Amino acid sequence: MGAISSTFSQNVRAHKWRVFDWQLLLYVVLLVGFGVAMGYSASLGAGGSSASGMSQTVKTVIWTGIGLTIFFVAASVDYHWLTTFTVPIYVAVLGLLAITTVIGTSLFGAQMSVTVAGLDFQFSEVCKVLMVVVLASFLTGRREKVGRLSTIVGAGVLMAIPTFMVYRQPDLGTALVFVAILVGMLFMSGASIGWMAVMAGGVVAVAPLAVQSLAIYQQQRLFCFLDPSVDPQHTCYQLIQSLNAVGSGGWFGEGLTAGGLNRSGLLPVQSTDFIFSVVAEELGFIGGLIVLALFGLLVWRVLVIGWGARDALGTMVSVGLASMILFQLLVNVGMVVGIMPVTGIPLPFVTYGGSSMISLLFGMGILESVRMHSRKPTF
Amino acid sequence: MADLNEGRLDLPRSPARFIAFGVSAVLLFTLLGGRLFQLQILQGDLYARRAAAAHTAEIPIPAPRGLIFDRTGRPVAVNVPSWAVKARPADVTKAGVSTVIGRLASLIGADAKVLEQRFDAFHGSPYDLVPLTKVSRQAALLVGERSQELPGIVVEVDPQREYLDEKGNLDGSLLAHAIGYTGPISETELANLASQGYLPDDPIGRDGVESSFEQELRGTYGAQLVQRDALGRAVKVLDTVREPTPGKNLMLTIDAATQRMAVDALTWGMKASGVQEGVTMVMNPQTGEILAMASLPAYDNNKFAAGISATDYQAYLTRPGKPLRNHAISDTYPPGSTFKLVTGLGALESGVTTPTRLWPTYGCYQIPNAPRGQCLFDWNHTGFGPLNLTQAFAISSDTFFYQMAVKQGVDRLGDAAAQLGFGKQSGVPLPGEAAGIVASTEWARRNGRPNLYTGELAQAGIGQNVIAVTPLQLLNAYSTLANGGKLMRPMIVRGETSDSGKLVKAYLPEILGTLKASTADQRVIRIAAREVVTSGHAYNIRDLNLPGALSGKTGTAEFGAKTRNNTLPFHSWFVAYLPSKPGATDAKLAVVTFTYAAVVPGNVSLEVVKYFLQKYFKLDQDLRLDPHNFALVRNAN
Repeated sequence: MGAISSTFSQNVRAHKWRVFDWQLLLYVVLLVGFGVAMGYSASLGAGGSSASGMSQTVKTVIWTGIGLTIFFVAASVDYHWLTTFTVPIYVAVLGLLAITTVIGTSLFGAQMSVTVAGLDFQFSEVCKVLMVVVLASFLTGRREKVGRLSTIVGAGVLMAIPTFMVYRQPDLGTALVFVAILVGMLFMSGASIGWMAVMAGGVVAVAPLAVQSLAIYQQQRLFCFLDPSVDPQHTCYQLIQSLNAVGSGGWFGEGLTAGGLNRSGLLPVQSTDFIFSVVAEELGFIGGLIVLALFGLLVWRVLVIGWGARDALGTMVSVGLASMILFQLLVNVGMVVGIMPVTGIPLPFVTYGGSSMISLLFGMGILESVRMHSRKPTF
Repeated sequence: MADLNEGRLDLPRSPARFIAFGVSAVLLFTLLGGRLFQLQILQGDLYARRAAAAHTAEIPIPAPRGLIFDRTGRPVAVNVPSWAVKARPADVTKAGVSTVIGRLASLIGADAKVLEQRFDAFHGSPYDLVPLTKVSRQAALLVGERSQELPGIVVEVDPQREYLDEKGNLDGSLLAHAIGYTGPISETELANLASQGYLPDDPIGRDGVESSFEQELRGTYGAQLVQRDALGRAVKVLDTVREPTPGKNLMLTIDAATQRMAVDALTWGMKASGVQEGVTMVMNPQTGEILAMASLPAYDNNKFAAGISATDYQAYLTRPGKPLRNHAISDTYPPGSTFKLVTGLGALESGVTTPTRLWPTYGCYQIPNAPRGQCLFDWNHTGFGPLNLTQAFAISSDTFFYQMAVKQGVDRLGDAAAQLGFGKQSGVPLPGEAAGIVASTEWARRNGRPNLYTGELAQAGIGQNVIAVTPLQLLNAYSTLANGGKLMRPMIVRGETSDSGKLVKAYLPEILGTLKASTADQRVIRIAAREVVTSGHAYNIRDLNLPGALSGKTGTAEFGAKTRNNTLPFHSWFVAYLPSKPGATDAKLAVVTFTYAAVVPGNVSLEVVKYFLQKYFKLDQDLRLDPHNFALVRNAN
């Protein structure tokens, strides 16, 4: 046993970079590129000069550079360090969220980030990825007991604390991402479907209560997608403008930086959460499909890595990240096209935001590590 | 088949779950892609149109309000720039209403509570501007400097009305009743007038010419196409769709200098006799143009122009004499002996009497068909002996006219009154005109009786009991006599002017009716009116060196409830016109003065008219008598 594993690991060390998943990196970079281009166009539209547009682009490039560095570092390290540091990571998650609650500044009314030296840190973004790791570690630690109710309860409790803290910021959207991660990972870990259904029923029962306890404007925002005329001037304004922008994109869009609504600055927050509406307006249906396709390919690579992982830890991490990306994609793009409630969830890699970018790249780096440290050298 | 889990160290992968996960992902992408297709391809045109509509808008361009000049071209209502501090709810609420408004209030020295009240009372779109208060130019600059600390607060330059007197001073009390003022449009009015282009908070005329000529003064708003930003604010003008049409400038028929003379004369008279409410009006009988219209006490409409404070408004409401009312046209009073014009004319016209026929007069007139002893007194309790119409008019015998009234009957009397414009609005283009009351069978029926009592009819003949008129109606009636029998529509606006006050379009006088009485009969009354002045019944006014033969009538009208010494309080009237010779129809000046409850021995209104004429014709004489001390005639009538 010892000889085989040492040979195995020697082979792995030597060949790992051969199995580096270039496609994953490619799709990530392409999406980031879209994000940069759209972000530039959007910041022009928000009344910025080309100078401020450039400054946002420059910032994005810098964040991406930092993120890619982290990406490669995380990729080269054997991901099993995650199991060693599970507990400190969890403590760090709780700590970061606590800090945010205490001294966070308000971005559009939600206490979501902490500003240090002029830079905004949205800790909830990195906490998402960290919780994927924590949960993955927990679930693999369950081994054969994974099918029991206690697994589900344990995972639920583990996740519930950060989820609740995020929900109270108040950031309903990100709290839901945590839930999506939990559900996706539980499902793929082999947890009991029956018990999960029961849990789901419980959540559905509690949902109306949760909605009630939101601030009024948040409640209104949630229901805008059902009927935007509820408050066209105010809370539903973003959604109406987004739909107009998307719809007017047609097949090929109005051209980069030439989108009518974008240019007239009529889309508030377009350089952040509603960025997809700029894609749709300026690049049309085809452009939108391309972005969706890139995401599809990205998630495919993530799942392939997960399937090929050597152990459950790797699979869990990949599934967790896939769930996260898919859920955010669904809610963000869904919101822009009016089939999902309006929440403040960023579109991965595309939405302008350093914390989100770095967290995702960190996650992608771990995935690469899973791939490189999992495969048998003969594959 | 190779073991799918080969090489796995612990938990097996479940292919089924992977597939399920993958299928969900595919469904997700299909859903999003399909929705994109629906929005962009299937419904693309719809959204393209909405997108275009969302960022452009047509916003109105206000038109400058027309100016108002007096008869000689003096500006009496002008527009000046004023600075208004306004708040946009969307921005202010986000930063905290109390904080922002508190800062603003301390900066400009206003009451934060009042501003907050105005802010909270607004119910429009959160992206509109709520006017908070007007400020001086310096305060406006301050607010601009500190705009960073005041999110959502903007200063806009809005035109404001200023009302001037005959010297150009900022004093609206001279012409307040004639001109009125403007105020912000109310929500109910807006509901009705929005289709005519009125915007929330637009100024709209209230009272006076500002109100009755609102359409002319307002002009027509223009429109421009603007591009809007995310908050609905205009960022760029794309096109001017329609230029605004400025409001028409108007010229009053009133001469501010004459008005000042009237106000001063009336003020003197009211003060000298302790009267609290009075009217003096001057008219040109040939055209019906009102040359002066003084109703005292008056108010300063400049207070309304800037938005009157609650204290000031209360003060106006509670002040005796009711300064906000234009007594000249809105209030009715018994005309007393001045009404004998109607009775006399009606008697002549209906053939009840002739110019020369003599009638007995009595100390007390026995009411026909009434129990013995029920009689109506003459002011002269001994009677005058037999009189003809001219004499009776000059000396103002009551019992003569009781008989005239009773003999011609209520219908003929009513008809004569109507011919002279009583019992209905004169048609002057001013709001709030009262119609007055003239005794009629219909009136009796409405009060539950088949007919007027004879006694009431007799009293109607001397302008008491069921007769109530406005000072304007009385003046207009005597003007009708003065111009040869044409009932004119009184004019308050002479026409439209250029921006510098030059008349460019004159409004034409309008004849509303003509008297049925013959010219000869009318002349009889005109001569009688001259006799009033020359016989001494109007004291020493005949001694004024006037360029004409002043003719008119005095009146003392009892009203209300008996006082402690069993007498009734009374008003004082004097109405007169100035033809070149007795009986002529060329008078260009007619004056009336009314003083309310002028319970003094003298005829206050007569003294006021005297004083006015002295001023108007710049006479050296001052023949005024102290209304408290009259030795010439006792028991003044």
